[in-house]
Amino acid sequence: MHARRHAPESEDHGIDLAPMLDFTINLLIFFIITTSFIKEAGIEVFKPNATTAESRESGNLMIAIRENGDIWMDRRQIDIRDLRTQMERLHIERPDDTVVIVADRESNAGVVAEVMDEVRLAGIQIISIAADDPGG
Amino acid sequence: MALRRRRASDSGHEGSHGIDLAPMLDFVINLLIFFIITAVFVKEAGLEVNRPTAFEQPQESDAESIQIQILDNGEIWVDNRAVDVRAVRANVERLSAVNPDSGVLILAQERAPTGVLVEVVDEVHLGGIYNITFSTTQ
Repeated sequence: MHARRHAPESEDHGIDLAPMLDFTINLLIFFIITTSFIKEAGIEVFKPNATTAESRESGNLMIAIRENGDIWMDRRQIDIRDLRTQMERLHIERPDDTVVIVADRESNAGVVAEVMDEVRLAGIQIISIAADDPGG
Repeated sequence: MALRRRRASDSGHEGSHGIDLAPMLDFVINLLIFFIITAVFVKEAGLEVNRPTAFEQPQESDAESIQIQILDNGEIWVDNRAVDVRAVRANVERLSAVNPDSGVLILAQERAPTGVLVEVVDEVHLGGIYNITFSTTQ
């Protein structure tokens, strides 16, 4: 009686870790795959609305333009003249990056055009202008 | 001979216990935490427009493309008439019916608001044209 009650305990080495390990590694793989190293602009702007806006999977460098013309990238305000060198550096690091320009609806189109030119001169050809879909 | 026997007995000994998973588990969980923290779930929706390079300046006389002008004060001019943003679509549809493979050239003045620009691009998309070129004028 006594011996029989003790028998399973002595065989048990602790919790079976295998299912937890499977689960953890699945989670790990999920996060590795979904990580795309997005560089956020770091500020909030009022985006214009557009019903035909389509979300791009690969847009991962964001450049924000405030209504007063300030340009923000990677949580820092940068000068338009520094933008090209910054973009060139990032383009060399990750050549298939694409750029999303997040411009305030009150910002000047001239600044947007200048930013687009600088980004293109840095070698990134796929540029889109961010917009909100008012329908959700 | 003795060595081989000893090795065989060693491996048999380890096999009974299995590999120690704890260090690997620590490592995997650390990796997991790293990726959870760095994961950013941001999806920006956007519109794509072309930008003429210095080499291919927009041809002012290009009869193929539909020109839309945006002035500093946000006024929109299509076909030499000031139009409302909601009328852009109708105008684009009308002009593209005349000239089906034409693209759209948006000429914005330097200080034109971006909101109007994006609305115009949106309207042109709704009008069925995705070949949009964006240029600024003084």
